[in-house]
Amino acid sequence: MTSLDGLSSIFPSQRFVRDAAFQAAFESDGLTAFRAKPLAVVIPETADEVVAAVRWCHENSVPFVARGSGTSLSGGSLPVADGIVIALNRLNRMIELDPSERIAIVEPGVVNQHVSDAAAPHGLYYAPDPSSQSVCTIGGNVAFNSGGAHCLKYGMTSNHVIGCKAVLATGEVVTMGGRSVEAVGPDYTGLFCGSEGLFGIGLEITLRLLPKPERFHTVLVGYQSLLAAGDAVSAVIDSGLLPGALEIMDALAIEAAEAAVACGYPPGAAAVLIVELEGPEEKIEYERRQLNEVLATTGAFAERVAVDEADRLSIWRGRKSAFSAVGRLSPDFLVQDGVVPRKRLGEALVRIEQMSRESGIRVANVFHAGDGNLHPLIMFDGKQQGALERAEELAAKLLRMCIDMGGSITGEHGVGVEKRDFLPEMFDPSTMAMMERLRLAFDPKLVANPGKMFPSTEAPSLGLSGLHPLEKAGVISRE
Amino acid sequence: MSETVAVPENLDALQTLLASESVVLPVGNQTKLPLAVDEHARLVSLRELSGILEYEPSEFTFTAYAGTPVAEVNEVLRERQQYLPFDPMLVKAGATMGGSVAAGLSGPGRFRYGGLRDFLLGIKFLSGDGEVINAGGKVVKNAAGFDIPKFMAGSLGRFGVMVELTFKVFPLPSHRQTIAVQCSSLANAMQRMSDAATSRWELDAIDYRPGTNTVFLRVAGPLEVNQVLVQEISDLWGQDVKPMPDAEAFWQSVVELDWSDSDLSFAAKIPTHPVVLRSLVPWAEQTAGVDLHVSVAGSVAWALCESQHEVDQLDHLLAENSTAGLVVRGDCRQPKIGFWAKQDIASAVKMAMDPTMKFPQL
Repeated sequence: MTSLDGLSSIFPSQRFVRDAAFQAAFESDGLTAFRAKPLAVVIPETADEVVAAVRWCHENSVPFVARGSGTSLSGGSLPVADGIVIALNRLNRMIELDPSERIAIVEPGVVNQHVSDAAAPHGLYYAPDPSSQSVCTIGGNVAFNSGGAHCLKYGMTSNHVIGCKAVLATGEVVTMGGRSVEAVGPDYTGLFCGSEGLFGIGLEITLRLLPKPERFHTVLVGYQSLLAAGDAVSAVIDSGLLPGALEIMDALAIEAAEAAVACGYPPGAAAVLIVELEGPEEKIEYERRQLNEVLATTGAFAERVAVDEADRLSIWRGRKSAFSAVGRLSPDFLVQDGVVPRKRLGEALVRIEQMSRESGIRVANVFHAGDGNLHPLIMFDGKQQGALERAEELAAKLLRMCIDMGGSITGEHGVGVEKRDFLPEMFDPSTMAMMERLRLAFDPKLVANPGKMFPSTEAPSLGLSGLHPLEKAGVISRE
Repeated sequence: MSETVAVPENLDALQTLLASESVVLPVGNQTKLPLAVDEHARLVSLRELSGILEYEPSEFTFTAYAGTPVAEVNEVLRERQQYLPFDPMLVKAGATMGGSVAAGLSGPGRFRYGGLRDFLLGIKFLSGDGEVINAGGKVVKNAAGFDIPKFMAGSLGRFGVMVELTFKVFPLPSHRQTIAVQCSSLANAMQRMSDAATSRWELDAIDYRPGTNTVFLRVAGPLEVNQVLVQEISDLWGQDVKPMPDAEAFWQSVVELDWSDSDLSFAAKIPTHPVVLRSLVPWAEQTAGVDLHVSVAGSVAWALCESQHEVDQLDHLLAENSTAGLVVRGDCRQPKIGFWAKQDIASAVKMAMDPTMKFPQL
């Protein structure tokens, strides 16, 4: 057993926790199929304490996993059994918010939604909006380059992170980027974003804020077939419009959402499409006419336009609750996050349906149609012998389909533990080798979040799966 | 100064060349000359590896060889009513896509939807040992693996030879309209830029010319919408607002860094924020042989200088402000000016990306 004496001397006893009951809360994250018990959990309150903990881990070759709210859907914040968890929730200070520069500098434990809340009085907001935004933290968003429903127009987290002070896995404290959206020299900030905690821990993150759109125009459209909804997406894109969001849900996902939140989607729809335009009043007035013309040609059988903000939110509630709502249809499920080129969406959906039929496993579909990001929801009953394995087999087929179609194994959830074996199928050996070398440059001792992103022999123990406790409580939902 | 530039005609020739030379600096058309010379390196131009490989308008993506001129890309996109919203720089001068990525330059349009780094999705490049690396992806959304493409934006050709690039594109707004807003002082101009940037108007570009104390605002979208927004701005700032009938020429002069009537052969990029601007703008106004343009709502300044003498002064001023700058044009000794932080991780990353040290140090 590793001696943690040096580490425990950094923290007062109440913030250096080895209590089994307390630690149980950190055993798992949003990917509940996996769990592991860490050696200890440390709860720093200052950046200096984080730096000291990381340096201790580096010097003693003890693995660490940085963790915010533990909402990762790829097992990104899953603990390492012989390592420690650095819980960052108390580093939740908004260091600076400058409305004239339109930036916020935050600690990693600041909750995503809180940035927009703090910016709101100045007419600003933080654009990336993962569905767990009411609890997920900026540190985790940066580590996993999180997405959301509005990526097509505004990009993912990394497009909104302009600077970062971080402690690297070696203990070196670096400053990347700065207060300007522009920089000179290689883009270390961009490289750090999405590194899945393998490079180090962000301590002060500089975010770009945008003016809040003056007006939204949100339309819910019902279709008799999934293919028709997919074609409607192409029609909208080809018309030259650039919607803030373009989302599709299939019949099973609608059924689940309806049962959970009574969202009032068109009865009998095989698919619904949500299109949201955003911008200045006059522009939206113009674009909504354009959108109406396009939608009129897509064979929709029902259409609902949000009449006010409450109505808009009720449309979104159905969408955002869809995944946790599937918990009503099935005791367990796996959510996938593959990406295919948009024009192949229809083909991908047909193949998913076929795979579902062949395997006898029900799959619900919710996706960010605008950017080809699929979220097939594979349902199973973990109590049945071999059910999880069969669901995982189907998930693997889906991921390989995305790779074959020229897409990606993950659009926004990250590779994490869940998809680490698939990374070498997406990238060739020389590219994998370069990524491994990069990892070693930041972390020569492989202490930072080991077992994530890269294929590994250290298999975390499989445990019970099902809804995240916060999902059960209705606090968070999945993209 | 380097010997003649090698111009391989295909990937094989490029790989052979890479194997036969000890130190190589990849270049495009050398439109940013200070970044495209090195006395110890063999210069290799990618200009023959040119052309658009794939373009799927409905995917919002294209893939092109690194040596493809930006002008060609702009033209092909325009035919399908699409564009690169960040206004690539030095287009008429002959910039290539690869050179634009290596230099990491974005023009005034960067304000609305983000910079070159935000639209770059994937890169195929050769590492120093000739391995083909396929980083990033070809779809608009991808979170798999390290984001090496972003790192390469601004990497100045010191980590690999880019061969193919995949970008995201957007639908081209049907109309643009620009107005000039006369300001009374730097403080007034900064306030107005900030007000404009946080307004409901969702402007397409916000630039500032200190020499004439003028802020330039560009709206993009349907004509009738542009007119309403411009009218609202005019009502707000009254007689200070003037229409700009020749706006496209104005924006082009910014993109080409040739707005000055004087012979100012040096040009430098400086990432800025208000503190830096409050020091940089007065210096530029008081110094003969310097002409400054502030872009992206105060986030970047372009300094045109007459000679190395003014560049040296700028270097000093930026160092005092702990700010880095990059000389992109002119016969200069050292493109890096001001304060560039030295961090241990930089050399470790260099070793990881370029283990055979095929490319010059930054």
